[in-house]
Amino acid sequence: MRLVTRRSMLTGSAAVTAGAILAACTGGANNTGGGSAAGGAKDTLTLGMTADIEGWDPNNQPGYQGWPGEAIWGVLCRANEFGELEPSLAESWEISDDRRSFTAHLRQGVTFSDGAIADAEAVKANFEFATTNEATRSLYEGVTFDVPDAQTITLTWPEPQPLMSDRVFRIKLTSPDLIDSGNLNDKPVGFGPYLLDEAGTTRGSVYSFTKNQEHWEADVYPYSKLVCKVYDSETAALNALKTGQIDGTLVNAQSYDEVTGSGFEVKEMNGQTTRLLLTDHKGEIIPALGDVRVRQAINMVFDKQAMVDNLYAGHGEVSHQIFRPGSAAYIDDLADPYPFDVDKAKSLMAEAGYADGFEIELPTMDGQNHDVLMPYITQQLAELNITVKQVPLTGANAIGDLLSGTYPVVLWQLGNIGDSAQDIDIVVRDTGYWNLEHQKDDYVDEQWDIICTGTDEEAEAAQKAINRYIIDQAWFAPMVNPTSFYAHTADVVIDNVSDIEGLAPKLRDFQ
Amino acid sequence: MLTSVLRNLLRSVVVLVVVTFVVFFLMYGNGPGIARAVMGMQAEVTEENVAAKMVELGLDQPLLVQYGHWVQGLFTGDLGRSFYTGQSVTEALATRVPVTLAITAVALVLTALLSVLLGVTAAVKGGRIDRILQFLSVLGTAVPSFITSIVLVFLFAIFWRVLPATGYVSPDVSTEGWAASITLPVLALLIGAVSSAAQQFRTATLDQLGKDYVRTLRARGVSERAVIFRHVLRNAAAPGLTVLSLTVFSLLGGAVFIEQVFALPGLGQLANSSAQIFDVPMVMGTVLVTAVIVLIVNFLGDLAITLLNPKARTR
Repeated sequence: MRLVTRRSMLTGSAAVTAGAILAACTGGANNTGGGSAAGGAKDTLTLGMTADIEGWDPNNQPGYQGWPGEAIWGVLCRANEFGELEPSLAESWEISDDRRSFTAHLRQGVTFSDGAIADAEAVKANFEFATTNEATRSLYEGVTFDVPDAQTITLTWPEPQPLMSDRVFRIKLTSPDLIDSGNLNDKPVGFGPYLLDEAGTTRGSVYSFTKNQEHWEADVYPYSKLVCKVYDSETAALNALKTGQIDGTLVNAQSYDEVTGSGFEVKEMNGQTTRLLLTDHKGEIIPALGDVRVRQAINMVFDKQAMVDNLYAGHGEVSHQIFRPGSAAYIDDLADPYPFDVDKAKSLMAEAGYADGFEIELPTMDGQNHDVLMPYITQQLAELNITVKQVPLTGANAIGDLLSGTYPVVLWQLGNIGDSAQDIDIVVRDTGYWNLEHQKDDYVDEQWDIICTGTDEEAEAAQKAINRYIIDQAWFAPMVNPTSFYAHTADVVIDNVSDIEGLAPKLRDFQ
Repeated sequence: MLTSVLRNLLRSVVVLVVVTFVVFFLMYGNGPGIARAVMGMQAEVTEENVAAKMVELGLDQPLLVQYGHWVQGLFTGDLGRSFYTGQSVTEALATRVPVTLAITAVALVLTALLSVLLGVTAAVKGGRIDRILQFLSVLGTAVPSFITSIVLVFLFAIFWRVLPATGYVSPDVSTEGWAASITLPVLALLIGAVSSAAQQFRTATLDQLGKDYVRTLRARGVSERAVIFRHVLRNAAAPGLTVLSLTVFSLLGGAVFIEQVFALPGLGQLANSSAQIFDVPMVMGTVLVTAVIVLIVNFLGDLAITLLNPKARTR
């Protein structure tokens, strides 16, 4: 009897399950499509994200694929692809001659989604709050505020700010009441072009938004609904794109032929430069690296065009500089300062007294294309008798170890930021976290002073001077600007990528 | 019987304590490294800042004290908060567990049905049917689930467009949508599981069919149907249940990968993404829930075998 009962239950379960699957096969498939591709109208923009956001704290939002943040929060001014400021909450602004003060004139009638007014006091509260976050504290330390009226605020730094645009557009503005509550991660409050649709949102999986009709730029964002879906694997994102579940996603070079062959459009970006960072300029750890001839020789053993053709399948451009073409530091029409010439490189090594070479440890990490690049790098450095010992970095200590200065030579695909002063600050100056050995250089410091205090023309000339100097000194071995790709349906138009990092379209770029 | 149940319960609790204790110490052992990772690449890193972050995250306490707090929280339903998003671990698990349970439970039910059907058919019918089923079974076991997933997505989502390639729809929102969203993941899990379990059922059935009592039953004129369903299956059930409880573990393991491929917001995806960024409270939450599921399945499997086995019942 018991057996009969169990059998009945199993049969019943089977029937229910089979019924569910049949129902799925007959009617479920089309219900999951959310993109405009399925609907044919620009009512919903559904974007695939290959990395999740880390909660709703406005101080902790990614610049890369940070569409939920762009949807929710407004900023004082926004920046274009070269870091030039454009109006947002501030309709106009002035920067003082000494580059210490930024005075913003705010538009009237803007309110946060909780009803609070987005005025000068609210702006002040947000910038003050930024001084409490470890990622932004140093950028706003010592800032003083002058609020003559509700629509005007002046921020003054103790020192000149050559990176004023970064300091201004970085802060996402939220309601002072939310800041006071301390519950910033629970629910986002902003005055951005979209409002969070909580019912349609599951953290870590899908974020839904409805258009904020009150936004002064509502016309700039043509979609009435925005959905951001998180995909941990590119395979899943590609499948979602191909089946009309999303309107666009970032794809890697290996998927290029597949997506273009499937009829999708691809927006190309060159926001990175593959390079060796030779950060021990003074030879304190590896004496040979203190000799400029050795660093120059290292630059000369890489056939950059062959790298583009063979390692990047043609998806990239040869690079002689670490800065973004078109940025202030970039030198137009610069001939290759270190053409591929192994014999000359060997003779430079011999001149420097290092014909027998030396050993370096190169850290490797997942997701950095090292599996493709390292064999070639190792092989070419061996031409100079430089032995490469690869050190895999994993675990919680990986980032700390990488930036600790333990490895004076690092192979990395680093961003070339549209505002080249940021690159100088991050990878060239001794205080930059990518200047791994933090070795001070008088010439760079002199030029940085000019960037801080000179006129716009003088500052640009100083940036170019730093670029020429680090090329002459061979602080880096830039190789390739690899192309990255954003694949999207034909219904979505992306004319321009206004991302200062050049890595993904911004929300306003989707038309 | 009662003693056996109590012994199993006690063993489960001990295993749970050992598992969580070991994983906790492995995950939390590198406090400064975790604090540094949470701070991110752009943060200003000084010893003071790292120390302050450790205090903020509670990593400055001795490991045993931290574990004590975690266990204490366990009894109040508070498993801590994500180091990155501040989201409550309990809240995150509440949205993730149903997704994983849905695909593993449906896959398990179908595995049980199909593997019994195929295993018994192969054993009873023999000949060509047995060889065909064995071949398919070997094929299903040999082909990795990522290949199966790709083929299923290509056929059902891209080529025929009858099922979604990714995403999960809650049954609260739409029953049809829910069924559609889990069908391909379930199929991907199912193929390997059925292939493996059907072989075990075939072997267990063949073993029973060769026993004397079967010959006796047949000699007495008992119908073949009754022999198989009333006697052979009952005796083959115990090893079959063991196989099925092991199948649950492989289904849970498979779910980690399947959830990535089909972008399902389940436990596996949460565990994977949390482990990559050292969001250890989230990792501990997923470890705890997975361990509890495994122990419950194990316990129920043992209980069922005990109930089916008269010798065990009388002990």
